[in-house]
Amino acid sequence: MERWDSEKELDALFASYKSAVPDPDASANFMPELWGRIDARRSVTLRVRKLTQVFVGAAAALCLLFAMIEVVPTSTHPEVHGTYVDMLAATHPADNLTALGIAPHDPAEPTTK
Amino acid sequence: MLVEFEQIQKAQAGDDAAFNQVVAAYRKRILGTIARLIGRPEDVEDVGQEVFLRLYYSLDQLRTPEVFEPWLYRLTVNASYDYLRKQRRRSESRMSDLSEQQVMMADAVAGGKISTEDQRQKQVKELVESLLGSVSEQDRILLTLKEVEGLSLKELEKIYSVNENALKVRLFRARQRVLSAFEATKGGAKPGRRKEKKYGAMG
Repeated sequence: MERWDSEKELDALFASYKSAVPDPDASANFMPELWGRIDARRSVTLRVRKLTQVFVGAAAALCLLFAMIEVVPTSTHPEVHGTYVDMLAATHPADNLTALGIAPHDPAEPTTK
Repeated sequence: MLVEFEQIQKAQAGDDAAFNQVVAAYRKRILGTIARLIGRPEDVEDVGQEVFLRLYYSLDQLRTPEVFEPWLYRLTVNASYDYLRKQRRRSESRMSDLSEQQVMMADAVAGGKISTEDQRQKQVKELVESLLGSVSEQDRILLTLKEVEGLSLKELEKIYSVNENALKVRLFRARQRVLSAFEATKGGAKPGRRKEKKYGAMG
């Protein structure tokens, strides 16, 4: 019963709280200050966006640069298509290799121990 | 709705005059809600500006007019909650004990012996704010929206994006804590802030 009374009193207290704290009127500075905050955040957003654009641009330029470095040397040697060993064999004929002591392996030649 | 959806659409499109009209339409109501949620008149405008600032920068996410008001309330709840959390960090003791005068007020409310209207209102304000200080910031806000602002469970469901049952349970527990604090106050004790289980953020 006592609990029930307290429930009622609490309801009444909450109800009177709304009239005890009425909706306040905004001051004359409310809107100017609000727009000041909106503009301040807008300028920060713009600055961040500008910085982001600069970083993205720089990253794109770097990517292009690295791509050029990767692509350009291979494109100046169009004959290079094989492995390193193929290239070596192609640029040094067999007699040169023999002269250097690097004889090409001939499977038909008998091996000596 | 206090404004036509066309006004909101214009504001979404970047029409500052339309945004001003939306703010003008809802300002008083939102400031009133904030005043009752945070209980500090000197900071009401600051929190109110934060609400409308968040509104300005999130208007483009609004798709249907039906959700505008619950959504604005949600921004209000979030800004008030952020404020209360900051305040709590600044001063743990702010929402703690009742003064002797407040204890006397509780007795007066219980006994119906109150003098002038202004004094009564001031005392009601102090007592309710002290009682709401006995629950967490989230529960304080939820309870205020339901019991003081008179929002329905359906409206709260839209604001918090949680189901009705979860809200009912949470409201019941919060109310029970406030009720216990109220009864303790009537008995002459001072309602301290309870250490309670932390709930996840709702909404």
